[in-house]
Amino acid sequence: MALACLSVICCIIAGAICELSLNEAKRVGAVSMPSSISVRNVVDVSTAQSISSIDAEAIYQEKCASCHGADGSGNEDEYDEPLWGDLTVTELTRVISETMPEDDPDSCTGEEALEVARYIYEKFYSRSAAQTRGFVAPPRVQLQRLTIARYRNSVADLLAAFSPAGMQQRDFSEAARGLNGIYYQSDGMNKAESEKLRRVDPAIDFDFGNGSPADGISSEQFFVIWNGAFEAPHTGYYEFRISSPNGFKLFINCDPEGVHGKHRDDSSKRLQVPLLDGWVSSSEMRELSGRVFLLGGRTYPVRLEFFKYKEASSSIRLDWKPPHGVWGPLDEQNLVAELVPATFVIDTPFPADDRSDGYERGTSVSSQWLDSISQASVSVADAVVQRLPLFLGNNYANEAGRISAKDFVVRFARRSWRRELSPDEKLLFESVFEVEEDVDAAIRRAVVMALSSPHFLYTNLPREAGADETASRLALTLWDSIPDGQLLAAAEQSALATEQQLREQAARMLNDPRARAKLSGFFEHWLEIGHRDFSKDKQLYPDFDEEVIADLRLSLELFVSRVVWSETSDFRELLLADYLLLNPRLRELYPGEGEATAQEPSTAFEPIVFESEGRAGVLTHPYLLSAFAYHNNSSPIHRGVFLTRNIMGRSIRPPPEAVAFEESEFAANLTMREKITQLTRGTACMSCHSVINPMGFVLEEFDAVGRLRTIENDQPVDTESDYTAADGTTITIRSAREVAEYAALSPSAHRVFVGQLFQHLTKQNLSAFGPDAEDNLMRSFEQNEFNIRELVIDMALLAASGNNISDDEANSE
Amino acid sequence: MKTRKNTSQRRLDRRRFVREAGIGAGLFPFIAGLPSLRDIETPAARPRKRLVIVFSPNGTLPGEFWPDNFGDDQPLQFKSMLSALDPFADQTLMLHGVHNKIRGDGDNHMRGMSCLLTATELRSGNIQGGSDAPAGWANGISVDQEVRNFFQANPETRTRFGSLEFGVAVPNRADPWTRMVYSGADQPVAPIDNPAVMFRRLYGGGQDRELVGSVLDQVKDDLRRLESSLAVEDREMLLQHMQHVRELENGIEAAAQQERLQHPEPEIDPEIELVNDNTPDISRMQIDMMVNALANDLTRVATLQFMRSVGQARMRWLDVQEGHHSLSHEPDDNKEAYEKLKRINSWFSGELAYLARRLAETPEPGGDGSNMLDNTQIVWLNELGKGNSHSLNNIPFMLIGGGCGFRNGRALELGGQAHNRLWLSIAHGLGHDRLETFGTARHCAEGPLALN
Repeated sequence: MALACLSVICCIIAGAICELSLNEAKRVGAVSMPSSISVRNVVDVSTAQSISSIDAEAIYQEKCASCHGADGSGNEDEYDEPLWGDLTVTELTRVISETMPEDDPDSCTGEEALEVARYIYEKFYSRSAAQTRGFVAPPRVQLQRLTIARYRNSVADLLAAFSPAGMQQRDFSEAARGLNGIYYQSDGMNKAESEKLRRVDPAIDFDFGNGSPADGISSEQFFVIWNGAFEAPHTGYYEFRISSPNGFKLFINCDPEGVHGKHRDDSSKRLQVPLLDGWVSSSEMRELSGRVFLLGGRTYPVRLEFFKYKEASSSIRLDWKPPHGVWGPLDEQNLVAELVPATFVIDTPFPADDRSDGYERGTSVSSQWLDSISQASVSVADAVVQRLPLFLGNNYANEAGRISAKDFVVRFARRSWRRELSPDEKLLFESVFEVEEDVDAAIRRAVVMALSSPHFLYTNLPREAGADETASRLALTLWDSIPDGQLLAAAEQSALATEQQLREQAARMLNDPRARAKLSGFFEHWLEIGHRDFSKDKQLYPDFDEEVIADLRLSLELFVSRVVWSETSDFRELLLADYLLLNPRLRELYPGEGEATAQEPSTAFEPIVFESEGRAGVLTHPYLLSAFAYHNNSSPIHRGVFLTRNIMGRSIRPPPEAVAFEESEFAANLTMREKITQLTRGTACMSCHSVINPMGFVLEEFDAVGRLRTIENDQPVDTESDYTAADGTTITIRSAREVAEYAALSPSAHRVFVGQLFQHLTKQNLSAFGPDAEDNLMRSFEQNEFNIRELVIDMALLAASGNNISDDEANSE
Repeated sequence: MKTRKNTSQRRLDRRRFVREAGIGAGLFPFIAGLPSLRDIETPAARPRKRLVIVFSPNGTLPGEFWPDNFGDDQPLQFKSMLSALDPFADQTLMLHGVHNKIRGDGDNHMRGMSCLLTATELRSGNIQGGSDAPAGWANGISVDQEVRNFFQANPETRTRFGSLEFGVAVPNRADPWTRMVYSGADQPVAPIDNPAVMFRRLYGGGQDRELVGSVLDQVKDDLRRLESSLAVEDREMLLQHMQHVRELENGIEAAAQQERLQHPEPEIDPEIELVNDNTPDISRMQIDMMVNALANDLTRVATLQFMRSVGQARMRWLDVQEGHHSLSHEPDDNKEAYEKLKRINSWFSGELAYLARRLAETPEPGGDGSNMLDNTQIVWLNELGKGNSHSLNNIPFMLIGGGCGFRNGRALELGGQAHNRLWLSIAHGLGHDRLETFGTARHCAEGPLALN
């Protein structure tokens, strides 16, 4: 079964766009790049040794070599690239039969085409043959710099590591949800309050009118402190907004203070700056808003101080707008009534990491990057100096303190470099105290020196394999960060040696919110959740607004994490689940999906079992169905490409030529399916679209916003198609559920998931970890009932103990 | 109820001041696009007029502050409390009989402070003072910001910062007692009382670059050593890194050349601890930086706020253990308190004298023999006329320097004029002579005070 049309093999047109956006086209193209992961399909029976009498080599030399070169290396006047790729022999056969040679496609068909395909495959086309020929470099673990996420997480944890609280991220699954509210009676404004009430408030949205907030508190004047923490799901800017006619201060990501009745600060020493300061008010309703940059996967302290003094009325409301979200209450869904330390977050802008292979990697450096890391290192140095009394005690600047300061810079370098320093390196850091007399200045210099060094900035440097390197790889793989105290302790006690020990560490680390954030980053990538165009026809879909889009995204994210963090963590559940997580707003837009289990009106997302049997897990999630659709109708091609590539795990090359879908070019009475069939009926198109279209057509029962439909353009929706699998067998598919069931059992679906997850975690290609690495992971994945978390642990172990930087080293191990 | 929107984007400390300084992340690449901080070597077409306002709190001791003789024909003679200012007596103008006539919500300390430079009422609000109705922020712009906007509107007088707000020992809270500068109604501007923060704001870019530059040799060594141990395919990235490090080195060098100040930045201990007992050192650092910023024409408007209204600084360096505000409440016949208040105000006058001296020592560019004090208008003021009476009458206004072209070397008895009129005189003296009213308009009917 052909996956790519011949003209694609012959003449990849850079940037060619068919129905795909430019980015998608690039990503598709990337599949064929030497460094990308192989998404080969299982080598099929047709690769078995030929017993035919046909002389394939002679045919190749006669009919193919004039363009492709005698050895497949190409001909600069014709097809100037080496001929290699990821198609199977069956697929190659079909391409050759239908389109080759270009000037006379009928001259090489049937058995002859099959024999030529075998010949090509064995001699130079397959990845291993291409490697032998030198068409493609053998896969290897690449030197990389820290990605932006790795840089930011590392410095956040570096500062935390020296704080009393350490860099542990606590588990709040048992914590009370909301904020601790402490209500005081005040007297003579701000003076001599007495605590009257303490409770957990699930959200801050109170209108006390002209009354009192609690028994024993006068309506004329009172004071309330709310404190707690919120979970930041994504990295980015978080906006906060307070609406109140009274006095307030909102502190975000400031270390919690001991709760005290006093709320007038006469010192000039304190460094906490409120994000929103509305302390002085003139009884008018005000909205103050501000934003702060935060790293996803961490919990940040929030404190809100509020007072009323003789104003006519009192009310207060706290809203937020997380990245990818819309304004809404910051409430129990994200709040925990616990005190947590602040996290140091670098908000220096960085140039974007390379994503040309579909995942972020640190494979290039630029002057802007150097600019950013230089600036960031100074910010870190500032933050370190600011926290020195915390790290070293108040007297760090005196003579005795100098000794601990020297020790500190060595420890700081050691943590940031993720390894022990050599004696020379220790001396180097200690010597900053000879250059700079002032302790603060010396420490600033040491911090900038540590963080400007390639030993901090690069991963996979040639280092001695050892416990430090193992710990470093585990932390980078699972957290995008530096090892924590437990990991270092294990390394020191030689407790990172056996597989069992590694497995226990990985399992512990996987339970950390940082790992959760990293995994959700993967799903964002695998499901292409990123920035998509959701603009829809307002007349057709009047309710499909920003709130709905944000809810849908959240619904999908919640669904994925529900599956991943459930006990079975079953990959197949992602495809096969028979429910959607919907909140009341979404339930109104997607009413046909079944009854809510809870009778109580709730703002929460609850599982709603599908009424339609056609729905299946992520395949039919309305967020993705809406993302892969036009503004006024479905887009079978976008949907089909997504299913083919990301779910079924088959590679598609970029289209040979740009063909735009112009609705006006079709007869008005045609269905979308008929239009697409017409558009792609050409032989060249069909070599890919025979696979893409059936995948898209099964989703025709969902409109441009992912709602069920049975009629389209006054005709019944037809979802049935024949689909030819990679092994050449043909099946009839009628619904997304059938596709999901097929994919759940399909090795190629598993392979693309495994390959992409590995890239996301390690920033390296799986093939660089040895020829058996992929098969071993696949086998283990299957044996573990497709448990995603077990797979991640397997991957962490592979990354931690697998191939070193150079092949020589790997071989000597 | 009206809804008013006010969007502020604030982040953690350093980011905030860095952004305010316009030299921070996101707005300002590490080396590219430096604004020229270099002073213009050629003489200015017109002298640079400057305004410096210095605040000290809790009223003065009228008997020690005001001279015995007033009038045009009486050379100004300071009493002993102000003797530090003796060298500048002929460049000083003292104005008795200028009142803060702003009434309305808020106690006298609050209005004394927040209506001092704004000369307009406080908004109603939720902040209760020792008496009167609770109040909010001032309802208008302060005179320094008015002058700043005037200067910034004209390319000839525009400077990088427009204005700089210095503080010394200002407590970490924002309310009508702690703010005198307003960029508009309900928009208080916080003074920067941390010399390190101010230093970074003024010279931070260069300082950061120098720091980064100081480690680059080490980075190159590391890169060189690592490169030799890498596989060929991986060397390329390190070679590029090396190339960028060299470019950065050159960029840092070029930036240092470009922003070399005509007046080199003052040597200050950037890490001084912000504690009460360091106040004298902090004060001098702030003044040094202010003079330097004025000399380098980074700004032409500056304010310096000592403590705050009702401030309780314990001036142990003067052997005064009690809080300033408590002392200011003591009756005049409490000899001990009186003596201590005298010491305190004498100390403030010494800081003023230091500022005046630093300006007088700095020649204006162009070599016409003038110095900066000749073109700078210093205004020393207080939120109260007298501490223990909380009077807003006879605010101790002392004007030093030639910025506004007033006739100096005398003390005037003005007999109870609204201080709005003084701000009109200051604005007009600095060239902003189309300003017809300032603050509460009805206090401006008679126009600027005639001080020439």
